[in-house]
Amino acid sequence: MGDISFAVRRGERVGVVGADGAGKTTLLQMLAGILDPSSGDCRVFGLDTRRESKIIAARIGYMSQGFTLYDRLSVDENLAFSARIRDVPQDQYLARRNSLLQMAGLTTFTQRPAGKLSGGMRKKLSLCTNLIHEPELLILDEPGLGVDPLSRRQLWEMLDRFQQRQVTSVIATSYMDEAMRCDRVVLLREGQVLADGTPGALLEQLRGRVFSVTFSTSPEPLDDVSVKLRRLQGMRAIQRLPDRLRCVTDADDFKQLAMRELPANTVVTPAEPQLEDLFVLDSRTEVEMDCVEPPAMGNGEQASRFPVEAAKLDADKDRNGVQTQNLSIRFGEFTAVDRINLTIERGELLALLGPNGAGKTTLIRAICGLTAIAEGGAVVGGEAVSLKNRNLRRQIGYMSQKFSLYLDMTAGENLAFFANLYGLSGNTARAAVAWASAVTGLTVPLRTMVGDLSGAIRQRLALAGSILHRPAVLFLDEPTSGIDPASRYRFWEVIRVLASQGMTVAVTTHYLDEAAYCDRLALMMNGRLIAHGSRDALIESLALSPDTDMETLFLTAVARADSASLSEGEG
Amino acid sequence: MSIAMIGLLRKEVIQFFRDRVILVLILWLYTVEAVFCTLALSFDVEDVPLAIVDQDRSTISRELVQKFALSESFDLQYQESAVSVAETHLAHGKVTAILVIPPGFERSIRSSEQTTLQLLLDGTDSNIAANSLYNARGVLARLVREQLPFAANTGAIAVTRVWYNPQLTTSSFMVLSMIALAGMMVGVIHPAASIVREKERGTLEQLLVAPISTFQLFLAKIAPTMIIGLLAVFPSLLIVRAFDVPMRGSLALFLILTGFFLLSAVALGVLIAAYSRTLQQALLLSFFGLFPVMFLSGTLTPVEAMPDVLQALSRLSPLRYYMDIIIGVFLKGVGWRDLWDESLCLIAIAIPMLILSLGIFRRRLQ
Amino acid sequence: MNARRIVALLLKETRELVRDPVTLALAVVMPLVMLFLFGYAINMDVDELALGLYDQDNTPASRALVARFAGSPYFDIIEYRHNTRDLDRSLQQSRIRAGIVIPPGFGRALLRDQPAPVQVIVDGGYPMVAGLGMAYIDAVIAYFPAPRPEPVEMQTRVWYNPSLNSINFVIPGLFAVILMAFPPLLTTLAIVREKETGTVEQIYASPLRSAEYVLGKLLPYALVAFLEILMVILVGFVWFEIPIAGSLPLLFVASLVYVFTTVGIGLLVSSLARTQLAAMLITLIVTLMPSFLFSGFLFPIFTMPYSLQLYSRLFPAGYFMEVSRGILLKGLGVEAVLPNLLLLIGYTLVVFVFAVWRMKQKVA
Repeated sequence: MGDISFAVRRGERVGVVGADGAGKTTLLQMLAGILDPSSGDCRVFGLDTRRESKIIAARIGYMSQGFTLYDRLSVDENLAFSARIRDVPQDQYLARRNSLLQMAGLTTFTQRPAGKLSGGMRKKLSLCTNLIHEPELLILDEPGLGVDPLSRRQLWEMLDRFQQRQVTSVIATSYMDEAMRCDRVVLLREGQVLADGTPGALLEQLRGRVFSVTFSTSPEPLDDVSVKLRRLQGMRAIQRLPDRLRCVTDADDFKQLAMRELPANTVVTPAEPQLEDLFVLDSRTEVEMDCVEPPAMGNGEQASRFPVEAAKLDADKDRNGVQTQNLSIRFGEFTAVDRINLTIERGELLALLGPNGAGKTTLIRAICGLTAIAEGGAVVGGEAVSLKNRNLRRQIGYMSQKFSLYLDMTAGENLAFFANLYGLSGNTARAAVAWASAVTGLTVPLRTMVGDLSGAIRQRLALAGSILHRPAVLFLDEPTSGIDPASRYRFWEVIRVLASQGMTVAVTTHYLDEAAYCDRLALMMNGRLIAHGSRDALIESLALSPDTDMETLFLTAVARADSASLSEGEG
Repeated sequence: MSIAMIGLLRKEVIQFFRDRVILVLILWLYTVEAVFCTLALSFDVEDVPLAIVDQDRSTISRELVQKFALSESFDLQYQESAVSVAETHLAHGKVTAILVIPPGFERSIRSSEQTTLQLLLDGTDSNIAANSLYNARGVLARLVREQLPFAANTGAIAVTRVWYNPQLTTSSFMVLSMIALAGMMVGVIHPAASIVREKERGTLEQLLVAPISTFQLFLAKIAPTMIIGLLAVFPSLLIVRAFDVPMRGSLALFLILTGFFLLSAVALGVLIAAYSRTLQQALLLSFFGLFPVMFLSGTLTPVEAMPDVLQALSRLSPLRYYMDIIIGVFLKGVGWRDLWDESLCLIAIAIPMLILSLGIFRRRLQ
Repeated sequence: MNARRIVALLLKETRELVRDPVTLALAVVMPLVMLFLFGYAINMDVDELALGLYDQDNTPASRALVARFAGSPYFDIIEYRHNTRDLDRSLQQSRIRAGIVIPPGFGRALLRDQPAPVQVIVDGGYPMVAGLGMAYIDAVIAYFPAPRPEPVEMQTRVWYNPSLNSINFVIPGLFAVILMAFPPLLTTLAIVREKETGTVEQIYASPLRSAEYVLGKLLPYALVAFLEILMVILVGFVWFEIPIAGSLPLLFVASLVYVFTTVGIGLLVSSLARTQLAAMLITLIVTLMPSFLFSGFLFPIFTMPYSLQLYSRLFPAGYFMEVSRGILLKGLGVEAVLPNLLLLIGYTLVVFVFAVWRMKQKVA
């Protein structure tokens, strides 16, 4: 990180955004006095962070990216510990504790060990431990990471309340809806400030750069259209949504360019810019864009393999996606998944949403044959699901939140290993690796040690590893957590390509904006499927206005289900 | 062998060579630790610090002092004239034994009268004390033989031969037991660490969704340790050689039995891995598990010296049989026919443990 | 220094420790397991040594000698009747540790007052057993048929442990070993775990000073260590009935010093290691191994080569062991144990200064 000049006014809320390794965490740690600047100075409240760090420390709250709680201590004990090491007077402690716990909705859990809380509750508690001494400056590193939408909303409500008391805050985030809530946004790249301004001003810069592409009459195959679009001059990113394409471009005359190249029924309209789009205007992403195009995969042999394989998937018409029938899973007395009937069509992209502990991961684990099914059953890619069925596993690709890779092996060794696991060896394995790297846009040398790769590259590598054997169904568990927006754009584009080739994809995510990429949504709560259908269908069934955002949609559905289960209980 | 199996094995080997901590541990155990311990630890009681109070000051008493000074068993530190001074040395731990030669010692010997020497011992370490007494008697007996060659020499006399290790040095025993211990530790810790790490990283889940059986996974996890354990035998042969320990028996037999021994260690490692969630837990459990196995094996203290209950328990320790085998093969040069009962016991421990660990590994994964 | 912050840290650390069953078991159960295993198993008094006997003479005299061996509690006799080869093979197969062959003419020689040799074969593969076995066998044979008057008698007096009971020696030594085995490990893991999980960043970003952090972290483990030593001393007295020749309060003071040495070493290791695995291995190499092998606990230091004697002086366990054995067995007073005690105090101070210096570097 080099040569950064940066000032925050009292009472201001500044969002720090930037790709992986842009220096967000470093900046924050410097402000908190954990890291010393190697040259120049850093002053907080007018005090030098090198020499007076302990005086500063008493007046700030710093929440790092990982969890900063002691798992074996209860909620109350964690809070009390944090208060005592920060010299909170006993007479004020109780009042502050009560109000914080109430805001965080943790009042009923004070005796529970922190290790047994859900991700969202832990984040809220972490925030409480950093607010207990009423700091003047709050430094938060990715507060929304791994937190379900409900908890995230509560987290932000707490922050809003503190801001009213003139608390200054600096927040690093990868999620633009969080950045939008800040007074000012600073975009970092390689330790430098690339842009700095209010969210509104930054969006203004994007106006005229973002377009939506739809079709007036019969829809064209989006694949073909996106290939053509990509060749257009100045094209920076293409987002493929179920019914349209969304483009970010540098070109001033995009509309004319597009009308010339694209079929006549194409309709190009300016779209509402989002902060995410700012990232793709970052020049570095341009290079990587080309790799997504399936036909442009290096030599001719591989290019021809792709369609051939896709055709092979086509031939197996009966190899449908996923069907579950009254699927239930129990752990002792506790029913984690309760009579789920869910069908995912071949080539469909389904988002599985729900608060923490709704049973999403358990459901996916069961469909993968990792957890015993108590009742009902499921069929995946034509294979009945059971713990023993090994053919089932050939039909499945699975990518977990943790990006299960071997950090002490190179990228190439990881891919070769996963290829071997699925019975691919020699030339077949090499071809599969080449194909998967091309599809996922893996541009790093295969000799790099995975431990040295950034999160975004690891994500691509993990995805490549899970599609080497061309599974009929691909499960993605929180695939984008902690990944910067530009990389997320690309990730979803790859997923779309795979789905269009006939791969069935099911995704769990906490980021509801991402659910927009999916054909259908399935909402789970308390182990039950509470709503199921396309976004439009859900909006209709919940009687909401057509331009409702995903978050409202989700929260409404959850609230409905809550009241339904209440009345069920009474009845 | 299936492609998946080859892939699994290759991965394990790559990871093994990249894991510096385990590599250093193995190297340390097989080399530095083995050499250090062999050099330093011996139950031979030598150089016992000694003070002599010679109240006789005669030719024969000086001859006796000289004999003690030259003896390997003692290190003559002080010659005092007063017993009380020598006793302060003993009290301060400067010496462990005091020999008092009374006045008139020479005269008694010359006149063939019976006479008495006094040996004062620090009994803190009972082992040293007992050995010092035994060794002092030996030195004295040499003097008596020289001075009184015609003393009555009747009754039963022990003519002792020591087989396999005539000097009765502990170094050959130590170096062999260190190598056995190293094999045991590596055999337990390596598979435990490699399985638990996959649990922690979440890669185990990725393996479980792949079309491989838990049996294949189990094999892939134990095979590298077995290979490493067997390969480590060769450099340790060099160390053994450096300590002048002969290899009298058959290498092939030794390797086969080492294989069974490693199987039992590996099975213990897998069991530990099946029950632990974090690396720290696995290491602590290995420590819990290894301690009694090592302790009851007779490598540190003779099995014969244990109470009956512990002696009975020691029959469950594979290390005990392996020690008998390793000493048999190296020092005694015995073959399959003389080792069959130890081998059977070893196999009878290794195979059920392996099956048990496979069963539990399977169950805990699901 | 702010007492309230230290107390907060102390309280937190204690709670975490109490709620971690594996570590707690390690802290409480392992010392006891070690105490009992060592108390019973490290006993250099071999009994029931497997001894093969082949009486080729078969006269009343030779049978009397066999009866002597059979009557001794130290031996477990297996008689061979046919040839020496069976006996040799048993020795090879490690079924017996020693063999005795009474040659023909033994009885006759005794009757004629001539020297009557007895062949003794000892398996040198197990040198500890062999050495002791030889001594026992010699003693039986030398007293046969009757004790012979020696021209020079060796009269022995034993100070401090007249019964030559090895437990009296092992247990005071075990204090030093057990305290070096667990408290450093627990301390190190507690600190490195915070580094690994990232909770330490929270501490860095708080007004807590590094000296306060060190104190709050160490005191609970020092307390655990002190409880461990109390427990071990108590079990030693009550169960193993070891004698106390010196002053118990002096022993407690010395233990207190040593407790801080051990947790100080744990602190030092934690400032060097980044992962729990590395911390554990370093602890194993710098504390457990040397305190077990190079402290004079079982293997006397004076028998080691000179270079390794110097190496053994690097580790504090030996100093404390001399103090605890001195106090318990020899009844030494303050002035006699002072040199070792001062060495320990100096050692501890150096360790702490170095550890806090390393910590400061990391934090800054």
